[in-house]
Amino acid sequence: MIEVILNIMGVAFLWFAVEYCLHHQTAESLDDASLIPFADDPEVARRVELATGKTVRTLPPQEANPDWETLDI
Amino acid sequence: MSTTTIGQAYNYKVVRQFIVATVIWGIVGMAMGVWIASQLVWPQMNLDLPWTTFGRLRPLHTSLVIFGFAGSAQFAASYYAVQRTCQVRLFSDTLAAFTFWGWQSVIVVMLITLPLGYTTTKEYAEIEFTGAVWMTVVWVAYAVVFFTTVVQRKTRHIYVGNWFFGAFIVVIAMLHVVNHLSIPVDWFKSYPVYSGATDAMVQWWYGHNAVGFFLTTGFLGMMYYFVPKQAGRPVYSYRLSIVHFWALITLYIWAGPHHLHYTALPDWAQSLGMAMSLILLAPSWGGMINGMMTLSGAWHKLRTDPILRFLVLSLAFYGMSTFEGPMMAIKTVNALSHYTDWTIGHVHAGALGWVAMITFGATYHMVPKVFGRDQMHSTPLINLHFWLATIGTVLYIASMWVNGITQGLMWRAINDDGTLTYSFVEALQASHPGFVVRFAGGVFFLSGMLLMAYNVWRTVRVTDMAMAEREARFA
Repeated sequence: MIEVILNIMGVAFLWFAVEYCLHHQTAESLDDASLIPFADDPEVARRVELATGKTVRTLPPQEANPDWETLDI
Repeated sequence: MSTTTIGQAYNYKVVRQFIVATVIWGIVGMAMGVWIASQLVWPQMNLDLPWTTFGRLRPLHTSLVIFGFAGSAQFAASYYAVQRTCQVRLFSDTLAAFTFWGWQSVIVVMLITLPLGYTTTKEYAEIEFTGAVWMTVVWVAYAVVFFTTVVQRKTRHIYVGNWFFGAFIVVIAMLHVVNHLSIPVDWFKSYPVYSGATDAMVQWWYGHNAVGFFLTTGFLGMMYYFVPKQAGRPVYSYRLSIVHFWALITLYIWAGPHHLHYTALPDWAQSLGMAMSLILLAPSWGGMINGMMTLSGAWHKLRTDPILRFLVLSLAFYGMSTFEGPMMAIKTVNALSHYTDWTIGHVHAGALGWVAMITFGATYHMVPKVFGRDQMHSTPLINLHFWLATIGTVLYIASMWVNGITQGLMWRAINDDGTLTYSFVEALQASHPGFVVRFAGGVFFLSGMLLMAYNVWRTVRVTDMAMAEREARFA
């Protein structure tokens, strides 16, 4: 009996989790999310836009902070 | 040595360190695997020393490749991807540096203690109590760095790759702590708080999910970032990726009992493990198809891009091994396959074909970017590495399939009077050709790894300052 209850709880958890995550999403917002990996790479973003016809919302790079260390390479 | 401001906006230093560690532990761990494979072909290769016997080096091999190679790769990939997808610098350079040095010290502890015979005897959790506690401290620091970076993100949405990395971090912490609950009697000896079948169940709840979360979920996070990035296409279905995530983490955690079929474990737990393993095929293939279909309209890139080829082949092996796994979890199939080399072949289909291949692809993608180079030193060498790795993997898993089925059939064969047809030694002798082929496969795979190390070395030793500065502007 316990395994049946556990299985039902598992299925219910899965359903609620997916529903919660996708409930307020639109096709446009999911598209935006899928393009996040290209948003900080303007050159690649342009190529993706050309290939897919979708707009990548690029963000300006973060301002340099004087605390950041200079690295040796 | 030259100084530049590369990686100012992002912390690439820790990524670079983990990439180098990935390559080093990959070579050492895989060389250890080739060594113990040679011991099964030529037993005198154990050198008649206690520290170099199969029983001590085998856990060292698995620990080095899982925690040293795969672990460092996931640290590197997660730190790289979380910064770029959250568009914010990693939280705390100091804590990130601590995770690097802390994690390396954990691997060194394994490197020293396991050959000396200090072991919990629990597969994939052999590190003794003191080392396990230290590992927990480092892992908590990793969680703090990763999740604080996610919290500080500039993007509204948390990219799905980070969900997988996050689940990997949280679940591994839970598994590690629960499985290592023990009573220490000295610095390097402890006894688990569990006993009997309970101890076995906890161990394989951990063991299976070490595969499920350490060697799958984190690498799926890697897949969801690097496959779209290298293909230059967004993930095929973002909606499917979210369903994939929840289905995978809901189901994986239940599948452990399939490692204990026909044992003292309650029968209902064995059947539950089998059923959950079969259902697990759905999310696994959902993720594999989502990754593969990301190449829609970009398949032609496979002709010229060996990095993308690594990533796609890793998905093919992922699909293959996640089909094979549920099949082997069926009790009647398991009756034949369990305790044979088939299991070893299955593990390596995942470990070499999926984990290592995607790591190679991700590493070749990251190295030029974090070291400020246009591309890797040699694309033909990446191509050669691809073929060496592919041939090595195929030789390995094919020989283990043949060996496994041979062993399973010989062990169960009985005469009319009920006595065993074959002795154990006869089955071992029949396995010898397979051991030779497996050793050859390992040599192929290790040769590819050495080529990679050479290629990475040649790429990073000459820095193009102009390129470094250009990358720094974007970063």
